[in-house]
Amino acid sequence: MTDHQQSAPLIEMRDVHKSFGSTAVLKGVSLSVRDGGVVCIIGPSGSGKSTILRCINGLMTIDKGTIRVGSFAVETLKSDKQLVPLRHQVAMVFQQYNLFPHRTVLQNLTMAPVQVLGENPAAVRERALALLAKVRLTGKQHAYPGELSGGQQQRVAIARALAMQPKVILFDEVTAALDPEMVSEVLNVIRDLAREGMTCVLVTHEMRFAQEVADEVFFTDRGVIVEHGPPATIFQNPTDPRLKAFLDKVL
Amino acid sequence: MTLDFSWLLDPLYQKWLLRGIGTTMLLSLLGMVLMFVIGIAGAALLHLKVRFLQSPVTIFVELFRNTPPLVQLFFLYFMLSEIGLTLTDPVTGGRIPLFTGFTCVVLSLGLYNGAIAVEIIRSGLLAVPAQTVEGARSLGYSRLQTFRYVELPIGLRMSIPPMTSNIVSLIKTSSQAVLVAVADIMYGATQIMLETFRNLEVMLLIWVIYLAIASLAVLVVRRIAAAFRIPGYGS
Repeated sequence: MTDHQQSAPLIEMRDVHKSFGSTAVLKGVSLSVRDGGVVCIIGPSGSGKSTILRCINGLMTIDKGTIRVGSFAVETLKSDKQLVPLRHQVAMVFQQYNLFPHRTVLQNLTMAPVQVLGENPAAVRERALALLAKVRLTGKQHAYPGELSGGQQQRVAIARALAMQPKVILFDEVTAALDPEMVSEVLNVIRDLAREGMTCVLVTHEMRFAQEVADEVFFTDRGVIVEHGPPATIFQNPTDPRLKAFLDKVL
Repeated sequence: MTLDFSWLLDPLYQKWLLRGIGTTMLLSLLGMVLMFVIGIAGAALLHLKVRFLQSPVTIFVELFRNTPPLVQLFFLYFMLSEIGLTLTDPVTGGRIPLFTGFTCVVLSLGLYNGAIAVEIIRSGLLAVPAQTVEGARSLGYSRLQTFRYVELPIGLRMSIPPMTSNIVSLIKTSSQAVLVAVADIMYGATQIMLETFRNLEVMLLIWVIYLAIASLAVLVVRRIAAAFRIPGYGS
């Protein structure tokens, strides 16, 4: 534990600003995530949570500030080619799964490692099958995403992210589109990953889950991080009035 | 009024008709290949917002979509024969014109229906969900790879219903070939009518033949659509 705290964080955002037209979404966000850390970002809708994730993997460019992920200075990466190594290390799972509907489950997992990273198809295939077993979807490799339930699709999406062998996975409200009975099957998979030491950044509305798995929780409101700390403090002992009001509503 | 189809027994007329059907189908097939090449290339340039090429593509689409195909055919035929490019036949050593009536019809069909295909494929590409594209980008796919592996395969499937109409339109438009002296099915029909004066009967037959060719094309497209259907996605 002390080792981790002394070493440089894996992700570090400093004073990040981002506007869409005249709407400022991020107004000076700073946060850091250590290697192997599990961080949850909570906050009201429109507070910039998803934007933070999209800035970390370069899906969105930032207006001001710096983002460092491992050895990458994300804000300096401009071309698609420069972004490939970053996206190799930082995978993402989305609210709407964002799978490739025209490809089978297995192909969804193998496409990017083969087509983007140029890996050996046979080796990738073997890894993909192992990952499907890990997310408890053995036997579904030849199904198409449209033939699966939401919970199953989301587990395919997690396996697809893992197939890139990333260092970090960003989860963007991954249970928000799921029926209640499917939420736990997805959260179980994420819990396993967190326990195995995968660095995870989760934007979530599942407060109980955040409390359980996170080692640090960030509360965002109106484009800034209002309060952060270990889950015990954030949930049991909040100091900021906005955080208190938010927790009163959602807990 | 009695219908007299006895002329159909004449082997010469049978030969004209069969050759005509063959020519019509070949014209249509080659026109379709060109149509798809133009449609996909044009839609790609517009969709990928390729600098300096977007405006020329838009002008091309408007020009060929918004003018009558017959005018385009005559324009091509007279303009290209005016330029007078020729090829040397490797066997006989004779000079043959590069832009024959046949070539002009294929070009005209490819350009006219290709211009429409650009817009059809572009609308299919626009129907690909933004989330699917974002998923590809997050996995490191470049803009071009995303297009090639994700947007185009899904977009082409989405464009099948309007593209079917475009293919049928192309087959029907190929009947203009007769006007630049290409021996298609309409050409055979015109010849038979001149000799037999059985205009109604000949046109009835031609009507059925076009119906059969177009229906065959629709059937083939349906088979292709079924083979490429995405299970659990759309209808």
